[in-house]
Amino acid sequence: MRQNPDIDELLNSFIDGELTAGQKTEIERLITRNENIAQRLRQLQKCKMLMGSLPRAEAPVSILEGIKASLDGRTMPVERQVTSHVPAVKRHLPARRVLSTAAMIGLVAVLTAVIYTTVGPETVPDVAELIEPRAGVVATSGFSGRLELRTSALVAVDAFINSVIEDSGLSAPVVPTRRQDKRIYSLNCSREDLNLLLVNLEYIWDELDLATLFVNTEEFGRPVAVEAVTTEQISEIVDQDSPERRVKVAKDFAALNSIAEHLPGKEVMAAIDDGDRSLITIPKPVLTGPQKTAEKPSGQAQGAKMVHLTIVVDW
Amino acid sequence: MTEAANTDIRYQRASNGPISVDDAVLVRQCRRGDSAAMERLVLKYQNRIYNIVLRICANPDDAAELTQETFVKIIENLNTFEGRSSFYTWAFRIAVNLTLNYCQRNAKLVLRSLDAEEEQHDRQARQVLKEFLSDESSPDPAATAQNKELYEVALKALTKLDDAQRTVIVLRDIEGMSYTRIAEVLGVELGTVRSRLSRARSKLRQILEAVLQ
Repeated sequence: MRQNPDIDELLNSFIDGELTAGQKTEIERLITRNENIAQRLRQLQKCKMLMGSLPRAEAPVSILEGIKASLDGRTMPVERQVTSHVPAVKRHLPARRVLSTAAMIGLVAVLTAVIYTTVGPETVPDVAELIEPRAGVVATSGFSGRLELRTSALVAVDAFINSVIEDSGLSAPVVPTRRQDKRIYSLNCSREDLNLLLVNLEYIWDELDLATLFVNTEEFGRPVAVEAVTTEQISEIVDQDSPERRVKVAKDFAALNSIAEHLPGKEVMAAIDDGDRSLITIPKPVLTGPQKTAEKPSGQAQGAKMVHLTIVVDW
Repeated sequence: MTEAANTDIRYQRASNGPISVDDAVLVRQCRRGDSAAMERLVLKYQNRIYNIVLRICANPDDAAELTQETFVKIIENLNTFEGRSSFYTWAFRIAVNLTLNYCQRNAKLVLRSLDAEEEQHDRQARQVLKEFLSDESSPDPAATAQNKELYEVALKALTKLDDAQRTVIVLRDIEGMSYTRIAEVLGVELGTVRSRLSRARSKLRQILEAVLQ
């Protein structure tokens, strides 16, 4: 049966749900009045149904390996991006500026950390004074704290966190709470599980407007807040084996992050017109060397390796 | 939302938000040279891309090679992806363009192989097709999919459409894209999608009826 092409187009659009409400009504009216058009509609519907019911083919498992092999040895996109389009002089100048700024920040950060550790502000009592280590508590208590995240994309970030929690196999120990403007996840898990979660969460860290870690110090006073915290810093704090070490490392990070925020690096970055911001991001400080506790108490209780973290996401 | 029906649950959840965090994050990580993110991106889309490439080029070996080539091109050109369309649309555009170029290069070969096996439908296949096309029947799509004979006839009919018509049928009826998305993937006007799809379904119907003659 040969049909008017315009009618066929309309019928196909009707089948595919691509008509306006007015057009749809018009087609429905035509179908009820004209048996030829109704028959043609059924014919086209069957064509669509037949094609739509074809089984889905799955890609051979070798594809991923083939892609890796093809990419092996080739220049990765990020490298090409840096080297293309920009003249060498213009390309190197911002990099030099950034390196100089980063070096300056690093130097100031190290000096500040040394001064801070040696002298320490009067308002912050020495950790040793705060802690009257009651052997049992110190040995068995693991990390406890709260991570507050702020984002303008609450639903999407919530979906991502949920999927990461599921992928990490943490679904059972997590108790999620949903409110209109807030998502709360209460985690009780091992350090290893938390570290795995943090590695995945790093993927969305740039989507966050704010990230603050509050390290509980019930035994020693109010919580320590680490603003603009990174996943690496959280991991390092959590990995400390004693509450007093956690408090100390958290305070160090709080001070270092505060310094990094107020140093003139941001102005320098703003002055650089072109280029990928991610390439010139000033790295957050990470404690190394003697700051990181290497010694683990012998006979350490399993409880010390457990973590209680409440993640609060709001917007 | 037909497109979402073909995706895994995690993809749907991430895509329902104001931003596709999942894709955006994976793309960013890939740009930084993160091989784990690259793997996740490949695993997320490889079946869908392979399926449409296979239905357009009709050869499993070539489809596997073209899918691989598509991902290599995607990863190598991630820096040119500006985010004006979704990553999904951009990736499918690359896949379709590569496949259509391949089809053009191998047109004679494809036609020859079709001629060789022309019109050898057995009685059973014809009967099944006759029942399906019968105006009175209203077959269950799930049962239809399990019908091997009907499935083979449908695939052969699909290969007899020209490349442009076959592509539009694959994107709409198999991948479930909207007309707007198809227009973006193919780089054509919305009206062209409408008319091309209409002609393709009409031709498909003629091919199927010809099998019964």
